[in-house]
Amino acid sequence: EERRYRSASGEPIALRALQHSASCRELAVRCPRLQLRSLSAVTSAVWLAAYGLFVLSQNSMVLSAAIFITLIGLIIYLHFVKIDQESLLVIGSLGIQVTSSYASGKESTTFIEMGRVKDVVINEAIHMQKVIYYLCILLQDPGDPQGVSEIVPLFQSSKPRLDCLIEVYKSCQEILVQRKTAPQSN
Amino acid sequence: NSPAPLPERAIYGFALFLGSWFGFMLYLIWAYVPETWLFSLGLTYWPQKYWAVALPVYLLVAIGIGYVLLFGINMMSTAPLNSTHTITDNYAKKQQRKKFQEEAIPALRDIPISEVNRMFFLSEK
Repeated sequence: EERRYRSASGEPIALRALQHSASCRELAVRCPRLQLRSLSAVTSAVWLAAYGLFVLSQNSMVLSAAIFITLIGLIIYLHFVKIDQESLLVIGSLGIQVTSSYASGKESTTFIEMGRVKDVVINEAIHMQKVIYYLCILLQDPGDPQGVSEIVPLFQSSKPRLDCLIEVYKSCQEILVQRKTAPQSN
Repeated sequence: NSPAPLPERAIYGFALFLGSWFGFMLYLIWAYVPETWLFSLGLTYWPQKYWAVALPVYLLVAIGIGYVLLFGINMMSTAPLNSTHTITDNYAKKQQRKKFQEEAIPALRDIPISEVNRMFFLSEK
């Protein structure tokens, strides 16, 4: 089942929460697909600019270069920039896995073992003239039990708003709280 | 160190006033009086008149760039989202925890972010 929310910039996103077992949960945030109208707007703008250059310079290579650039740019954008879905898989005794899948089908995965995870919290920080809420994993400092060595921000492309983040936070905390009550299973 | 008027301050202010007026008049004379008149008076060692226009332009462009530069410096020194400076700093790491006393107001301290999150988002009863 999918619940609809909004991202920090107002786009519609969808959250899907799956419970695989008592200590394993998967939360996936799906970003909006590439819109046809924005794709056509960018393509027309680039091709009109190239046509203007062609009229000025009478060099037909400008037109073929513009077509080439548009195609290469679209492929690079779909493969490296446009994220389709970001998911978080929390396994109680094992660790946390963060997966980003791009629009071209590429998936990039990061796994953090549970011994390194101190907590999963909602932090607020200044980002590009706005203050946003974002979910992040606090990693334990090996020398200092109270300290935080690193922060891993999650859902960087979809940037859900606070209502969606609270759902994800409560879900994660239900699993993380089990590790304190059952330490002998490690 | 009060900002009240004092005789020394009045004298400094008047000296600065006279000095700035003299400097301004000198700048106007240098910029507008033709070189031949100045040479005939015997004053030959002046900087080129090009600088009478160039220096104010440099100053105004520097002020304009200063706005953009300040904005950029602000953006650059904002902590990125993955830095620990968004949740703690040196003073909070080294803070001492006072012992809890009955019937007393608890001492002021920096509450760790995990506790703050639990208070905000988990205790909605």
